[in-house]
Amino acid sequence: MSGGDPVRAGGETAPAGDAVTGDVAARHALAIAGVVPEAVVTPATRAALTADVRAAAAAGAAVVPLGLGAHRALGHAPARYDVALSTRALATVVEYAPADMTVTVESGLTLAALDTILARHGQWLPLDPPCPERTTVGGLIAADLAGPLRASQGRVRDFVIGIAMVTADGGEARAGGRVVKNVAGYDLMKLLIGSLGTLAVVTEATLKVRPRPDVTRVLELACVDRAAALTLAPRLAELGEVALAITMIDATDVPRPTWRCLLGGVAADVETVRGRLLDAARAAGAEVVYDGDGTSPESGALVAAARDLPRRAAGDLVTRAVALRTRAVRVAAEMLACVDDAQVRACFDPRAGTVTLAVATADAAAAIARLRAIASRHEATFVVERWPDVLAASVEVWSPVPRSLPLMRRIKAALDPAGTLAPGRFVARL
Amino acid sequence: MSIQGPLGAAARARLQRALVAVVGADGVLADAADLRVYECDGYTIERSVPALVVLPRTTDEVARVVRLAAEAEVAFVPRGAGTGLSGGCLPGEAPLMICTSRMRRIRMLDVANRRVVAEAGVVNATVSRAVRDAGLYYVPDPSSQNACTIGGNVAENSGGPHTLKYGVTTNHVLGVELVLADGEVVELGGVIEDTPGYDLTGVVCGSEGTFGIVTAATLRLEPLPEAVTTLLAVFETVAAATATVSRIIAAGIVPAALEMMDRTIVEAIEAAYHAGFPTDAGAVLIIELDGPAAGLPALAARVEELCRVGGMRSVRTAADEAERAAIWKSRKRAFGAVGRLSPSYCTQDGVVPRTRLPEILMRIEEIGARYGLRIGNVFHAGDGNIHPVILFDERDRAETARVLSAGREILAACVALGGSITGEHGIGVEKIRELGLSFGPDDLALMRRLRGVFDPAGRANPGKIFPTAAGCTEQRAPRRQAAL
Repeated sequence: MSGGDPVRAGGETAPAGDAVTGDVAARHALAIAGVVPEAVVTPATRAALTADVRAAAAAGAAVVPLGLGAHRALGHAPARYDVALSTRALATVVEYAPADMTVTVESGLTLAALDTILARHGQWLPLDPPCPERTTVGGLIAADLAGPLRASQGRVRDFVIGIAMVTADGGEARAGGRVVKNVAGYDLMKLLIGSLGTLAVVTEATLKVRPRPDVTRVLELACVDRAAALTLAPRLAELGEVALAITMIDATDVPRPTWRCLLGGVAADVETVRGRLLDAARAAGAEVVYDGDGTSPESGALVAAARDLPRRAAGDLVTRAVALRTRAVRVAAEMLACVDDAQVRACFDPRAGTVTLAVATADAAAAIARLRAIASRHEATFVVERWPDVLAASVEVWSPVPRSLPLMRRIKAALDPAGTLAPGRFVARL
Repeated sequence: MSIQGPLGAAARARLQRALVAVVGADGVLADAADLRVYECDGYTIERSVPALVVLPRTTDEVARVVRLAAEAEVAFVPRGAGTGLSGGCLPGEAPLMICTSRMRRIRMLDVANRRVVAEAGVVNATVSRAVRDAGLYYVPDPSSQNACTIGGNVAENSGGPHTLKYGVTTNHVLGVELVLADGEVVELGGVIEDTPGYDLTGVVCGSEGTFGIVTAATLRLEPLPEAVTTLLAVFETVAAATATVSRIIAAGIVPAALEMMDRTIVEAIEAAYHAGFPTDAGAVLIIELDGPAAGLPALAARVEELCRVGGMRSVRTAADEAERAAIWKSRKRAFGAVGRLSPSYCTQDGVVPRTRLPEILMRIEEIGARYGLRIGNVFHAGDGNIHPVILFDERDRAETARVLSAGREILAACVALGGSITGEHGIGVEKIRELGLSFGPDDLALMRRLRGVFDPAGRANPGKIFPTAAGCTEQRAPRRQAAL
């Protein structure tokens, strides 16, 4: 059978031994919004993790589940934060069956490590949040992370087909399975995706994977100014499935706004779409400043830079708005204009409708208020992904508040009645 | 917190009057002959007649009906078109059936943003027809798409032949309007993909009506593919065909659909529809490729070559949309055609990792031989989602018992190979006993806890998915089952 038997591999990156540390530096390294945990616990096995959660629950301690903590800025400050529980030592590939296009991994495996394994078989998990080398599969799921591939490839919810978890009382449970099509039982995967560790600790996930595109190509178009760049957006948004990622980058420290485009597919399709892209550039007076094979190091660096931009920026305010396609250009234009007096790095994806801004400003609260007003006017959702610690008590991370919030509160109360898991971190400080 | 079992005559009359006040006399069915129509869905092995059927026209009417049921402590069962295949809308312990078939409005169509809000009773195929001129379509296309409703699709998280590349219902639903069991109307998700909070839309998809009644859904539309190529590849043996399926996937090609039919099924289809399928072949693969036009011919050539390497005897490419439609019509009506081969048949819905298809097919053959049963196979090969069709005569009680045992063995074999007991038909009442093959008590306890949040009194579609005290009927006599 092609693809061979499932590959079983050990967690080579896992540090040996269960570790509990009260070390000051280690604790401060995982502080969230200025709140420092009492201890950092890094269980070496799933059984140890289960026991840790059970012990914490019994002691009435609050546990914030983390991978490497790279994305922990997302979410409200924890109401209580006794234990930072890291899954980083649980990094085993449980089963990888390339010909089934599925992989089952422990939640502490990083996306970069997973990608290396999948690449050997010509496959990938086409989810590209910032900093894959510091993002674990568990973190990807808990924070529902996405990147420039999102519009063409889908979101975390489209790839997680099975899950194992430790519940708030220290029990173990599973949902889904290892097959791509499965309607047995409730879809608890969906419940945990984006739940920020407030309902359960994800210990294992089965993911759908896809073949890597035959051919990839990276193009960069530089536009004379922001208005010219935004004018191109609707045309680029119609390039179809071969356009894997279409990202506009506009930053104070970049001379001209640019469109960074990753194309991928069979050779003939890539060439066709490349032609359309070049036509669009010509018509708009944009300059093609890069046009290279997607596998080259330069292309890789460009793609990574677009992906990591929101996390690499110096500013301590990062926001993301998601708007309907027809309103996305206006949201991008208005948001950029409204922070023009600050140091800004911005990404705009016209297909996903996402506008991500990293802003260095002296008055973050005022900037948040202005940006939120724009989002609200255009019926966009708005997330303050990172904010200065001084705003911990006042910032509202997500808007609008979901109409089904009472139901969400009941779910939190039913699954974590004692408030053991990441208390206060979620929407409306659940 | 317990719910009513059978409804007493007085209580029934009271409830009927109250319902008429909400939906009008023409919206309540109470005559035995009318009610009989609702005794089962596409899973006909178990039947029970509801005490009352109510046909609301609006969400508000549904909410008021559900509140009446709550006040009367009566359980209810939601129903769309009744094409389900696992008994998900069998009345059973629920005297009141709430039918969404009169909720057929498309509330909102936003072509530019590729969104549509459809009421629960809108027929699946209607959505695609409504947006076709705009160059869009609603991707999930279960075989019953000309009858099944969006509400039912959401409840069952329906699949279909095009899930390999595009995913199932849940991947295309962005929001739902849900009437909870106490009559509260909640809106989950919405037109924007990532609305803040828990993804309750995703949790409701596939919950089989146990969280309440979905009254409308916000769906994502996709642009029609630039080009489509449909190949009909003929193989001497099932083994050669399934090996080819793995070879195509391993080559990094993800077809839009990859369907297999064995000789038994092909014979039935030919006898019924004369679609020009070769009846002497061991197996036929329908391979559909879609995407940008430029690359498609080369991709199709690669697939043909992989088929040839795999021992393909001949191949036919659909020359035009009419021929393509004829192929799909035959495939989607395969179960109907089986009726020509045998007085009764019973369809299973198991899943295995696609590389284990050869093994499960050997196991099915062995199980069929051991029980003395003829079993045909028509399935979504690309997904590893099998549909063995067991042929028998329901008048023969002993044979019927063997069919049930064989079906159970097949599902157990799927789980043993790392698969699932259901890929798209749901648990319903049919597979309550088999659910334990996939999940342990702790897993099920967690799921029940979640259910308790949505429906603390257990009034929404009781007796489905999970075993209840009342239990499911022990005696099961399989009869006909409708199309997939």
